[in-house]
Amino acid sequence: MASHECDEALDRLFEYIDGELTPAELEQVSTHLKDCPPCESEHKLNEKIKTRVAATGGECAPDALRDRILETLRTAREG
Amino acid sequence: MTTEQVTFETQALSYMDQLYAAAMRMTRNPADAEDLVQETYAKAFAAQDKFTMGTNLKAWLYRIQTNAFINTYRKKQREPKRSDADNVEDWQLAAASEHTSSGLASAESVALDSLGDEVIKNALAELSEEFRMAVYLSDVEGFAYKEIAEIMDTPVGTVMSRLHRGRKLLREKLRDYSVERGVFEAPKEEIQPGEACNGKS
Repeated sequence: MASHECDEALDRLFEYIDGELTPAELEQVSTHLKDCPPCESEHKLNEKIKTRVAATGGECAPDALRDRILETLRTAREG
Repeated sequence: MTTEQVTFETQALSYMDQLYAAAMRMTRNPADAEDLVQETYAKAFAAQDKFTMGTNLKAWLYRIQTNAFINTYRKKQREPKRSDADNVEDWQLAAASEHTSSGLASAESVALDSLGDEVIKNALAELSEEFRMAVYLSDVEGFAYKEIAEIMDTPVGTVMSRLHRGRKLLREKLRDYSVERGVFEAPKEEIQPGEACNGKS
């Protein structure tokens, strides 16, 4: 059966994953996830998506841009 | 040159790669991304006396870049501002309906493993700007909600809405990609909230 605890845990899942909960709230969600496989599956999936998205960053600024910015900086110093 | 100025410049320059990566997510093309980062630095150097050393320089630079993007490039790119993005305080309702069976979420998770990084990147790029940037700032840059709120100049509640909606859409897109590639079979029927949950009531 659907439970109020599930709703509460699911409402806070992103805050849980993002480290935005207070220790007491974190404990509450964490306890529920241990007892509820479907909620834990939701948690694991959302956490995995976050990890996959996190791995998509990391482009480096092109050297030409770096040179242009250093030039901007020299101009700013003189001005 | 004071020591403080040198420190400011050195620290500010150390974020160039990150600002460029974020600019790529904002503008979605390298030429505009380069112009945006250059403009960000020009503005930051010109306004450095307004920055208090010891406070969050990275968030300050992202805020400048976000403003520059809104004022210059968004107009230029003519990407329509999504009217629904600002009216998303219904995320609590949306979130409550997300409960599916553990088997389904596990199947989605397995399917996700077979998608390459490019697919994830493209799915994120397809989100509208406000959702895309909220997810990017949280997941890739690791900013706290409060910092994202400062960068995007919105209340924390709006950041949470954008994250909820953005991630929900992202998950749907990844599910669609998985179905297209034949690594995930869409369920025949929607499972009702909490139906398969064993949680104590």
